[in-house]
Amino acid sequence: MRLLFILGEIGSGLRRNLSMVISVVLVTFVSLTFVGAAGMLQMQINQMKGYWYDKVQVAVFLCNDGSTAVGCASGPATKEQQENLQAMLESPAVKQYINDFQFESQAEAYTHFKEQFSNSPIVDSVSEDQLPASFRINMKNPEKYQIISETFSSQPGVETVSDQRQVLERIFSWMNGASVAAMGVAVVMIFCAVLLITTTIRLSAFSRRRETGIMRLVGASKTVIQLPFILEGVIAAVVGAVLASVTLWLMAHFWLNGELSTQFLNTPFISSAQVLVIAPVLIALGAGLAGISSLLTLRRYLKV
Amino acid sequence: MIRFENVTKVYEQNARPALDSVSLEINRGEFTFLVGASGSGKSTFLRLILKEDKASSGSVYVAGQNVANISSWRVPKLRRGIGVVFQDFRLLPQKNVFANVAFAMQVIGKSRSIIRETVPEVLKTVGLEGKERRMPHELSGGEQQRVAIARAVVNRPGILLADEPTGNLDPITSMGIMGVLDKINQNGTTVVMATHDDDIVNEMRRRVVELKNGKVIRDEAKALYTSMIPVVGESRRLRDASGEELNRAQGAQL
Ligand SMILES: Nc1ncnc2c1ncn2[C@@H]1O[C@H](COP(=O)(O)OP(=O)(O)O)[C@@H](O)[C@H]1O
Ligand SMILES: [Mg+2]
Repeated sequence: MRLLFILGEIGSGLRRNLSMVISVVLVTFVSLTFVGAAGMLQMQINQMKGYWYDKVQVAVFLCNDGSTAVGCASGPATKEQQENLQAMLESPAVKQYINDFQFESQAEAYTHFKEQFSNSPIVDSVSEDQLPASFRINMKNPEKYQIISETFSSQPGVETVSDQRQVLERIFSWMNGASVAAMGVAVVMIFCAVLLITTTIRLSAFSRRRETGIMRLVGASKTVIQLPFILEGVIAAVVGAVLASVTLWLMAHFWLNGELSTQFLNTPFISSAQVLVIAPVLIALGAGLAGISSLLTLRRYLKV
Repeated sequence: MIRFENVTKVYEQNARPALDSVSLEINRGEFTFLVGASGSGKSTFLRLILKEDKASSGSVYVAGQNVANISSWRVPKLRRGIGVVFQDFRLLPQKNVFANVAFAMQVIGKSRSIIRETVPEVLKTVGLEGKERRMPHELSGGEQQRVAIARAVVNRPGILLADEPTGNLDPITSMGIMGVLDKINQNGTTVVMATHDDDIVNEMRRRVVELKNGKVIRDEAKALYTSMIPVVGESRRLRDASGEELNRAQGAQL
């Protein structure tokens, strides 16, 4: 009976304040979408780090026909130069910094390139001898990249030494920045959501002060008086959180795993299932924020 | 049933107290008028019984319990034992008569079947049979006040507090309301009614407690609105011969 009564009160409260309730839903929806997006970016960064960090290497690219670097003035790298570089890599002075290394010939580079861009027209416009051969070095400690770079970049036959890890770090720091920005927007939006929930509950308590006054006089418990208001805020916020979760899931499903994954073939994207981990967090966050802010508002504006 | 011991209530520092060391006992089953000019402290007296306000000093006992010692989560239980009606009825305009009365039972978790059984009974007691489906705006003032009384007593409280219940009603309608309150009192409910309607008080001939500037200046059984006895000094109490002392002794055991 009391449960039915409380449900009825919630229903009438939601109807009476429909426009305010809708704005609470929308604001929590937007703010939690940003929270979730920040979370997804962090998950994406971790995923990529895990996938790439043991694969990334320092690459020593050798001169080919098209090279313009100073060290390539004498044309493509010769067999002799290549053997010389290999000897250096095997010498104790260098060996102490690296785990192992492989040689990637122009033919192998072309095969990898074709795999990577299999459904892109760029494959047809690139030929084997346009791609450089390279030594792929696995570092013991990737931080020691500078030593390898200094040792090899001035050697004859070397076009350039590149640290893939640095490229990745740049991408990661960019993604991290985006995630921090999303979080910043989220904080502002959450602040708006809390203010809006507070105002909504206050209006709701005011518009029903007659009922609550009578409830108090006939001895209704604090729970029966306050619960409809609190649940009103919580329900609106949870609806917003569910909408945010659905939006994020759709983004992961159709954009990351649909469109982007066909464009960036060897990038490991987070799956839409992983987004489902974020959903409960968002719902709990929405419900918690709404619950606490309603409770504090009622303590001030609803005498019990 | 209700006992005030040296109760003083000060709302604002520097202002005179709304109640000034009031000591008073109201027994179970009694009908008491609280009279006095506006601002004499009648509503304050009633609010202290409900623990809507806290006494600045002194103690208020309801059914033998010092209300100051009732924790906030048990205040609802105290209020379930007390019905209240006001001058302005305070009905819910969008609910019909039945729903207004049923509301008081719903919010304390009474079952649907008990509500269906009890509400018509109570509406009959207050003389509103057959008007269950009316909306408040379709009722006269007197009928609205009857609905409010029905709501106040539907949970069978031991005490009924009425704060100027006839203040908005014409004399004839007021007498009708008094009939209802009297009937409720006959059924054993202790009634305390604040009023400054002298006709009613004179007609009913019940105990009269008169307040002036927060002090009790008269406490008389079977009395009139204005005292027949010259007021000497402070409060004065006349006892009737019908065993008031005995009632008091029984009340103290409750
Ligand atoms: N909430 C309040 N805050 C401040 N003063 C109040 C409050 N309620 C009543 N008072 C003062 O207390 C005195 C008694 O008021 P009240 O008990 O309402 O008298 P009555 O009901 O007899 O007209 C008055 O002087 C009134 O101004
Ligand atoms: Mg008053």
